[in-house]
Amino acid sequence: MIASEETLRHLMIKAQGGDKLCYSSLLVECEKWLRRYYARKINPSAIDDLVQETLISLHRKRSSYDPNRAFLPWLAAIGRYRWIDSLRKIYRHEHDQLYEEMVADPQDEGVTAKVSLERLLGMIPPKQAEVISLVKIEGLSIIEASAKTGQSESLVKVNIHRGLKKLSSMVETE
Amino acid sequence: MMSNTIDRLVEDLTPIKPLKNRDGIVLTLGLTAVFAAIVVMTLGIRGDIMMGMPHPMFFLRAGALLLLGVTSCYAVIAMGQPAVGNSFKGWIWALCAALLFPATAIVMALIAAPDNMAVFVPRYGLECLSVSALVGCGIATAQIGWLRRSAPVALNRAGWLVGISSGALGAAAYGLHCPFNGIFYIGLWYTLSVMICAFLGRLIVPHLIRW
Repeated sequence: MIASEETLRHLMIKAQGGDKLCYSSLLVECEKWLRRYYARKINPSAIDDLVQETLISLHRKRSSYDPNRAFLPWLAAIGRYRWIDSLRKIYRHEHDQLYEEMVADPQDEGVTAKVSLERLLGMIPPKQAEVISLVKIEGLSIIEASAKTGQSESLVKVNIHRGLKKLSSMVETE
Repeated sequence: MMSNTIDRLVEDLTPIKPLKNRDGIVLTLGLTAVFAAIVVMTLGIRGDIMMGMPHPMFFLRAGALLLLGVTSCYAVIAMGQPAVGNSFKGWIWALCAALLFPATAIVMALIAAPDNMAVFVPRYGLECLSVSALVGCGIATAQIGWLRRSAPVALNRAGWLVGISSGALGAAAYGLHCPFNGIFYIGLWYTLSVMICAFLGRLIVPHLIRW
């Protein structure tokens, strides 16, 4: 069970004021939320690092949260930024299972759907989304992705590059 | 590992004051006013303003540049407080309005050659270009400082917008001195000035933002 938007917002406001207890609760809740947020959207072996990096970004940039606005869209914007940054760094990681428990128990479904990574991936051309999913998320090599999609190897690389560039430009606006 | 990270972050927590967009905008526009005053004091003010009868083109040019500068400045400052669902489209309309100057200059040039050849004298144009760009760089420091403190998530767009905003505001500040009113002159040199600042912003600013 993850805390509601209103609770998270309240905890963040207290944290900005220096309340360590509230901040600790906030980070624990954000960790849970981010694990679900990134589920199936990055290689499972990279999730720990990505969640950790996002929490550190949240900490460093906590003054950029406006207490008069909703909390989850702010966290999601930072989460998306970190996710795309992480996809850029990933080349090939072996993995053979997804953590099923991470995709269960959705919270604040309306907000989550609006800020979801699926929605962001759905905004780029299908061919670009497909090769990003295969190479950057599922961990296939360029050659394997090329064989699977019928795109040439250089086209796979170009589509990944263009897709990531497009995703970067849509972090907030879509 | 994760609980260690959380403990470390909690330990490091200190009270902070949330950033307010208004402060960033006031800082940028305040700096623009200071640079405008420096331009007037060092280079002098336009004669028609001094006489209390400014040429209509002065208002058109200053209005378009200020509109572009302020709207893109707002977009830059707002980018510092990210949220999925944010939209920064107002500056695009201001840019379209400002592009009427070079567009008109091109159309007029196709119809008839420029009657005032000052437009092609690099001495005047280069002064316009260099002073506007220099003032723009000064204004950009305030915006870059703001972006470093805040959390922009679209770095390339932030770079373009810092360049457009600071370039337009820098050109508006220089416009208080610039004596030329011709559409060819404005369409060429002012456009170049904002464009150069925009490209410099795109090239440099993303590297200066730290997460």
